[in-house]
Amino acid sequence: MIASLRAESLKTRKRWANWILFGILLLTLILLGYVLTYVLLSNPPRNFESRVPAQILKREVFPENLIPNVLQFSSTIGAAIMIILGGLSTASEYGWLTIQMILIQKPSRAAVLLGKLAMLAIITLLITAATLAATALTSYLLVTIDGTSSSWPSATLLLKGFGALWLEFAVWTAFGMFLGIAFRSTAAAIGGGLTYLFVGESLIAQLLRNTEGVKEVLRFLPGVSAAGVNASFGLTFRNLNATTQLVDATRGTITLLAYLVVFTVLGLLIFVRRDVGGS
Amino acid sequence: MGVTQSLAVETRGLTKRYSTGVLAVVDLNLQVRTGEVYGFLGPNGAGKTTTLRMLSGLLRPTSGTATVAGGIPGSPGSLARMGAMVETPAFYPYLSGRDNLRVVARYAGVPTSRIEPVLRQVDMTDRAHHKFRTYSTGMKQRLGVAAALLKEPELLILDEPTSGLDPQGTVEMRELIKELRHGGRTVLLSSHLLNEVELTCDRVGVIAKGKLVAEGTVDELRARSGGSALLVRATPLDQAQRLLESLLKPGQVQVRDGIFSLTVDPTQAAAINRRLVADGVDVSELRISEQSLEDVFLQLTEQAPTLPSPAGGGGE
Repeated sequence: MIASLRAESLKTRKRWANWILFGILLLTLILLGYVLTYVLLSNPPRNFESRVPAQILKREVFPENLIPNVLQFSSTIGAAIMIILGGLSTASEYGWLTIQMILIQKPSRAAVLLGKLAMLAIITLLITAATLAATALTSYLLVTIDGTSSSWPSATLLLKGFGALWLEFAVWTAFGMFLGIAFRSTAAAIGGGLTYLFVGESLIAQLLRNTEGVKEVLRFLPGVSAAGVNASFGLTFRNLNATTQLVDATRGTITLLAYLVVFTVLGLLIFVRRDVGGS
Repeated sequence: MGVTQSLAVETRGLTKRYSTGVLAVVDLNLQVRTGEVYGFLGPNGAGKTTTLRMLSGLLRPTSGTATVAGGIPGSPGSLARMGAMVETPAFYPYLSGRDNLRVVARYAGVPTSRIEPVLRQVDMTDRAHHKFRTYSTGMKQRLGVAAALLKEPELLILDEPTSGLDPQGTVEMRELIKELRHGGRTVLLSSHLLNEVELTCDRVGVIAKGKLVAEGTVDELRARSGGSALLVRATPLDQAQRLLESLLKPGQVQVRDGIFSLTVDPTQAAAINRRLVADGVDVSELRISEQSLEDVFLQLTEQAPTLPSPAGGGGE
């Protein structure tokens, strides 16, 4: 597994697609989640209508709301980027046929995939840290520009937020990784993953969230579970728990952990058992 | 650490039926001796690549067993002692040739100090810093061989190593294969190119429609398939034919394009010539024709029975 991890680190570091994805994630978060939000709420249009005044709403981008704001944006943009990252990491090996080259070296198949999984865990950890650091810096700059005061979240809250973000990133990465192995096609893995995220979770789950019977099923979905976890980190001026979440933070965390295990084990089983090449 | 067995590769009843129902390899019993260059010869779709994939551990056989470099195919013990290039050379297009070898070295657990020697061995040092995606087919093939050599393997499996190469590249690859056998290394080489096998291999196994139809040295295969023939060009044709048919047994005389092909012991050439001349037949040409490997190959592969298979298109 160590041999595989070392090989993966070289491949990952030198692959531009990974850096581009990381750049897109940070840029989108900073521009949409912070800069644009701040600019819009600082100069709200005349027809701007909200129960909460814009001057209060813009505090969303200040340090006191660092964790809930990052989690809110990461649950859509972050999830999509992580599905692509996970899908690319496995499906590309089939597309380029490099899977054949890897599997005829020394490590066992399980060791090869465990090395890849370990690398993905490290990447998601680094992305989580970088995301929080970049958004914290942006938040600090914006509050300085605004000339108001804001407090930073407590160390405990920061740690819990870090854990929640890492867990969510890891689940979506594992989902992409699993789809890459299952479909053996980059397009199918990414297309399938994003379709599920934006149609299955964001559209259908939202439309049917109040339908009895269906609601019970929705409680088992990863996106719904992540939303439950995110809601526990409420904005300072608006209690997100008030908007009905289908699951609470504890159940959401357990479900996400279960998905992480299921995607990993299923991916491993298919990877180890399935023939490589041939019809 | 040496392969103690006298056989580098041994298969017993190796069979592969794909999930699609295609029977690609049937009851294959292959024996590759340690230290030899073994040519695995067969037409496209015969089951060569499927067999090599099974030997490399990429495919699981439906039935039968195999021992490769002293271990079960795909086991770390077996993989540590073999290097392989199966099907096309597959590398990361965004990495340079050298970085690709670094990746392979890390997977294989070999020191990176091995990279420069193998690059030199395949004459790729000058292009090693270029991205793999910019390589020609020949350079990709050479990098594939370099990757297979990183582990200093006792057994080297090369699948169609000259596929897609230009004539110059083909000659260079053949020379490289000849060099690779030094030091007691075993080379298992698959090909559908007859002269390639004839020029590089000690022994040959011919596979057709998933079955091993013949195995031996090139000379043994030629002998099995009828050996040599005596070719005679003589006029007048009718008179010569009557005389030859009276001298030889039925079936020993065949005429094609005005040339007689006589299936006789070549030592009879002088006696046959004397009789023809004595009867007033002009003999303008008389020579011994060795049966080419191509003739043997066509004979063997055309005779191979068709496999029971629901649909065409094998894994190869």
